[in-house]
Amino acid sequence: MRIRAQRDDLADVLTRANRAVGARTALPVLQGLLCEVAGTTLRVTGTDLDVTVRTSAEVEVMEEGRAVIPGRLLSEAVRKMPTGSVTIGVSDTDIEIQGNGPRFTLRPLTVDDFPVQEDVVADGVEVDGEELAEAIGQVTIAASGDGARPILGGVLFESSDSGLRMVATDSYRLAKRELRGVGLEGTGLVPARGLRELPRSIGAAKVTAQLREREAVFTSDKGMLRLRLIDGNFPKYQSLLPESYPSQVVIDKDVLLDALGRVTLVAEDHIPVRLKLMEGGVEVAVTRQDVGGETEHLPGVFEGAEDEVSIAFNPRYLQDGVTAIHGDSVRIRVIDAFKPSVIDSGAEDEFLYLLMPVRV
Amino acid sequence: MWAEPILHVDLDAFFVEAERLRDPGLIGRPVAVGGTGGRGVIASASYEARSYGVRSAQPTSIALRLCKELIVVPPAHSRYGELSAQVFAIFREFTPVVEGLSVDEAFLDVSGLRRHYSGPLEVATALREAIRGRVGLPASVGVAASKFMAKLASEAAKPDGQLHVPKETELAFLHALPVEALWGVGPATLAGLQRIGVVTIGDLAELPEAALVRSLGPTQGRHLLDLAHGIDPRPVTPDSGAKSISVEETYDRDLEGAEVMTTALLAQAQRLSDRLHRAGLAARTVTLKVRFSDFSTITRSVTAGGAVDSPRALFAAANGLLGQVALERPVRLLGLGGSGLEPADEPRQLPIESEEGWSRIAEAVAGVRDRFGEHSVEPARLLNAPDRKQGRTR
Repeated sequence: MRIRAQRDDLADVLTRANRAVGARTALPVLQGLLCEVAGTTLRVTGTDLDVTVRTSAEVEVMEEGRAVIPGRLLSEAVRKMPTGSVTIGVSDTDIEIQGNGPRFTLRPLTVDDFPVQEDVVADGVEVDGEELAEAIGQVTIAASGDGARPILGGVLFESSDSGLRMVATDSYRLAKRELRGVGLEGTGLVPARGLRELPRSIGAAKVTAQLREREAVFTSDKGMLRLRLIDGNFPKYQSLLPESYPSQVVIDKDVLLDALGRVTLVAEDHIPVRLKLMEGGVEVAVTRQDVGGETEHLPGVFEGAEDEVSIAFNPRYLQDGVTAIHGDSVRIRVIDAFKPSVIDSGAEDEFLYLLMPVRV
Repeated sequence: MWAEPILHVDLDAFFVEAERLRDPGLIGRPVAVGGTGGRGVIASASYEARSYGVRSAQPTSIALRLCKELIVVPPAHSRYGELSAQVFAIFREFTPVVEGLSVDEAFLDVSGLRRHYSGPLEVATALREAIRGRVGLPASVGVAASKFMAKLASEAAKPDGQLHVPKETELAFLHALPVEALWGVGPATLAGLQRIGVVTIGDLAELPEAALVRSLGPTQGRHLLDLAHGIDPRPVTPDSGAKSISVEETYDRDLEGAEVMTTALLAQAQRLSDRLHRAGLAARTVTLKVRFSDFSTITRSVTAGGAVDSPRALFAAANGLLGQVALERPVRLLGLGGSGLEPADEPRQLPIESEEGWSRIAEAVAGVRDRFGEHSVEPARLLNAPDRKQGRTR
């Protein structure tokens, strides 16, 4: 194969496809990007078997063909070329990247070792790309990063009364987001790790989503992202959501975030932040043995059966949830110091963050 | 302050001396502890045997060729473990700042003893007498200002001796030693150094940093140069106060199939919870250890958002970890450990599926088990648990 294209166009398709390529891979060939040239199109595929990104670009084709090229090196080499056009040529033994002076020669990986990708027809429901990216950002914060319980590393996609519902939990907190009017069929546990790559790999104004038997497929004019679904049953989260809350406080989101920023100066590690909900707002306090503490009162609207309610949280978990809320104010609803609290924007909106307290 | 508060204590030919305690007939004769089978290797050789060229890690067949009268004794590790524990208990009578390197070797920081002894060398003498008198083993001790110098000093003091390297003369002592005496100088590095004419540590110390960095790379180059100048700031890090608590079990018959192993882990989660409960601790990290029938061993860990100590939570973590292990071969040993320990009454992140009810039950059960033994109350599933032979806890 032999192609020529503008540096920035090439760098874009390569870098985005390379987002699927892991630092450590199961097979050496997965360090590579599969580059296929046919007609006037360059198609680039990167995969770690769980996450697959395919991008494409129109290029000047001098010779058709295909090759697997070390992904990180290829995308970085192209990115660091002088501006202008870049040529990638592949012979049996070498890959040559050149343009305007510099010339790289790289060793190719074996094309036949690259896992065969069954083609899928882009089919499914159309979703507003910006809204999807926002929803992904909101729910994936609650997904677990450790591999011991793979199910908790997934985001549940299921249909709800209003449209599509996305839910993730690491067993200490749970994030739930509704995408109204999105009639996606089926249910699936989509890996959060791959989902986080969506905006930067194929993010666009319109994205088509599809749940297949074993994978979730997202397509846009920027390319295709395929995520292998996680096997297993997601926790029955519905019963975990409390039905009523005796107390709640509504405060300004930025005021709370600023306060949490100060709290985390003291509360490193797993020192809890203590909240006292009371008439006039909420008192936020942290104390750490040998270091000191910080305390402040934030104005807000309190409603409650008792005069005051105290509860403690992991400050980072609280910060994650408050940050994910869109809107100017935050509502914190509390049962007691041992039961789940729920954080949302106060309006009955699409996003909800359930957080378990820290027992102190 | 003493200028040289660090002791490196090394038991001389530990396994051999342990065998001589058992059988005084071995005293004064060339003895080695090691495998006696076709592929056996020497684990430890007496000084008499060493004079024939017998070394540890040597195939037993070669050792016997070098020394016809060599008596090879098969190792009895559980006995060595007991003796080692006695010796470490003596270390801790002197100072809490004990950093064990292996069963027969430790660093001690004895700066806290300056009101009781006139100098660190006197501590070394008393320590060796205590080990000799109460356990019956010979030990060599190096006394110096840093761990690295103390280790070189004990090496030079062997066997059954002690050596104090005063701070002001340590460079003279150090620079006369061959360069391979430095930690981190293996055969490859040694060859590289010899190529540039370095024979002693003194030669190394005189090299410009740039030259050393060029031939060994920046990290190792600078590290070795520091050592050659006697610079080793690492403190003695005590392993007192458990860093981890674990239980493990070698099964009579190898375990096969996930279900049997899950049941076995349930029992271990109970026992680990008992031990954590007794120590008043909870673990942030849970580690599963699996040894297969071919003795290959793997470990898998998970660190949760909140510390755990209940049997239920420990079992959930263990079971999750077991799911990550390819169970293609029979399993001879399972172990479960907790690390990242914190007091159980520290603030605790609660899980969504609340354990409040369970934790009260667990607490009551732990109390009963503590008083009446581990079979007094246990999950029904364990009534058919795999046999326990060497139920061993550490």
